[in-house]
Amino acid sequence: MIQFKNVSKIYPNGTHALNDVSINIGKGEFVFMVGSSGAGKSTFLKLIMKEEEPTSGTIIINDTDITNMKRRRVPYLRRTMGIVFQDFRLIDKMTVFDNVAFAMRVIGARPAAVKKRVNYILGLVGLRDKAQNRPAELSGGEQQRVSLARALVNNPSLIIADEPTGNIDPEMSFEIIELLNEINKQGTTIIVVTHEHELVHRFKNRVIEIQGGKIAADSGVPEEKAEVPIEISEEELAKIPDEIAEEIPDVSADEINREALLAIGDEEADE
Amino acid sequence: MRGMGYLFKEGVRSVWNNRMMSAASIGVLASCLLITGMAMLLSFNVRNIVDQMGKDNQITVFLDVSVDEITAVQKIGPEIRRLDNISSCEFYSKDEGIVKWEQELGPLFGELQGTENPLPHAFHVAMVDLSQYDTTVDSIKQVEGVDMITDRSEVAKRLTDLNTLVTQVGLWLVAALGIISLFIISNSVRMTMYSRRFEISIMKSVGATNHFVRTPFVIEGVVLGLISGILSSVIVAFLYEAMISAVKYIVPIEEIPYSDMAFNMTAGFIIFGMIIGAIGALISIGRYLNMEGGEILGW
Ligand SMILES: Nc1ncnc2c1ncn2[C@@H]1O[C@H](COP(=O)(O)OP(=O)(O)OP(=O)(O)O)[C@@H](O)[C@H]1O
Ligand SMILES: [Mg+2]
Repeated sequence: MIQFKNVSKIYPNGTHALNDVSINIGKGEFVFMVGSSGAGKSTFLKLIMKEEEPTSGTIIINDTDITNMKRRRVPYLRRTMGIVFQDFRLIDKMTVFDNVAFAMRVIGARPAAVKKRVNYILGLVGLRDKAQNRPAELSGGEQQRVSLARALVNNPSLIIADEPTGNIDPEMSFEIIELLNEINKQGTTIIVVTHEHELVHRFKNRVIEIQGGKIAADSGVPEEKAEVPIEISEEELAKIPDEIAEEIPDVSADEINREALLAIGDEEADE
Repeated sequence: MRGMGYLFKEGVRSVWNNRMMSAASIGVLASCLLITGMAMLLSFNVRNIVDQMGKDNQITVFLDVSVDEITAVQKIGPEIRRLDNISSCEFYSKDEGIVKWEQELGPLFGELQGTENPLPHAFHVAMVDLSQYDTTVDSIKQVEGVDMITDRSEVAKRLTDLNTLVTQVGLWLVAALGIISLFIISNSVRMTMYSRRFEISIMKSVGATNHFVRTPFVIEGVVLGLISGILSSVIVAFLYEAMISAVKYIVPIEEIPYSDMAFNMTAGFIIFGMIIGAIGALISIGRYLNMEGGEILGW
């Protein structure tokens, strides 16, 4: 899924943020990334979403070398990822619903699809009754869940969360990671940067430690995790494609599949 | 295209949310269009009047008193006709001249007819292009036997000069105001973008294409241009009628009715306004499109 080959990143001001990093993260893994402040964790994530370019080395995501990716392909790369920021980055003047819907609208989703999917996702993170509230009216944990809902709404195959639990109490943090765990069980790859050792110990996931721009330790994939089935169930996939494919006859196979995945929540949301 | 409705709403909404700046943009762009339009209308009318006058843009070329009719007709006439820019050259004998004088001033000159006639022979000359008036007059004066030239087209000449002036001043004004409009519109759009930089950074992080990020801002610019275009075409119609009746009060002229030009003027204003709006918006957008989330927010 994600492959770093001898990647180094030197910022224009001369800071060596990453130093010859090589690592593989497989599809369906759940990875905790730890390391002290300034170790290079955020830089690592920014390279994955191509917000920053590596100074040297190669980054491969989903079998695509993104190092030489054309600028105009970058938006499509990002559509396969959901990003959760430490500071939530919610738009204050929009409702919770619109904050989440925004992520679908900007990639050109139809209004009907937006409505169904957003309601479904808000239910998933337990915020359906707060849909018409503004972010300022929510607690820190609730805001973080809105931000998580926005990352989930386009059904990404990879979720990147930079300290998603930084501003909330331990109980809430636990719930958020629990939710990510559930999503991970459906096959989504997840990378979470965290400073909380408590969380790392409670969930037996792969832990990668970065120090001074280098991989200092890597626990590898824990054995009991490696066996967990990570694909979406056959029947769930099977019940969608036909009607969807009819509705949008002129899109690529890739897109049909996406639409199908997006539609998974639909029936449940209708209940 | 999918999502176009959403983008359009966003664009229109920011015109309203940004209303101070929008009003300033519309004011300047509409003034630019107005001045351009009025200069064009003025120029069209002057050209129209000059064209009408051109039909009798005769000058009279008087010959020396000593030149006799035969020399005039056989030598001087053909020589004038050979010059550039002459459309016609008709002999006008001193006998015809004295008859005309008599008709206009009464029988006082009766005894001056025949050999006592003090008038010189003359030619009525018309030109093809009035803007070359001076050069043509000079070359006629060079012809041997020509004494002096009077013309009845001084007004036409003045008008032609005026037209040239209006066109030139108009062009400079339009260029200057066009640049100011571009500047103001691009600033207005830039302010919208600045106030929405947070949304832009989120748009980019969830995979909005540059096209998608750009569209609402271009629509904002185009809407500003559209409003300016409509506004100025309404104002110009009234202004034109007012200007014509003011001019008619002083000199009787035959103007081009506004209805003859209304469609072209309105369409021109709207299209020109929208183009300026779109360009203005695009100038601002480029900057943001090549930046990533953190840079946009300045983190
Ligand atoms: N845009 C930038 N320009 C210059 N230097 C930067 C930039 N971003 C990060 N750095 C530097 O690169 C190094 C790694 O930064 P990074 O943000 O990756 O650390 P981090 O591990 O995420 O830290 P934290 O836990 O505090 O978030 C730091 O020394 C930081 O100062
Ligand atoms: Mg960081």
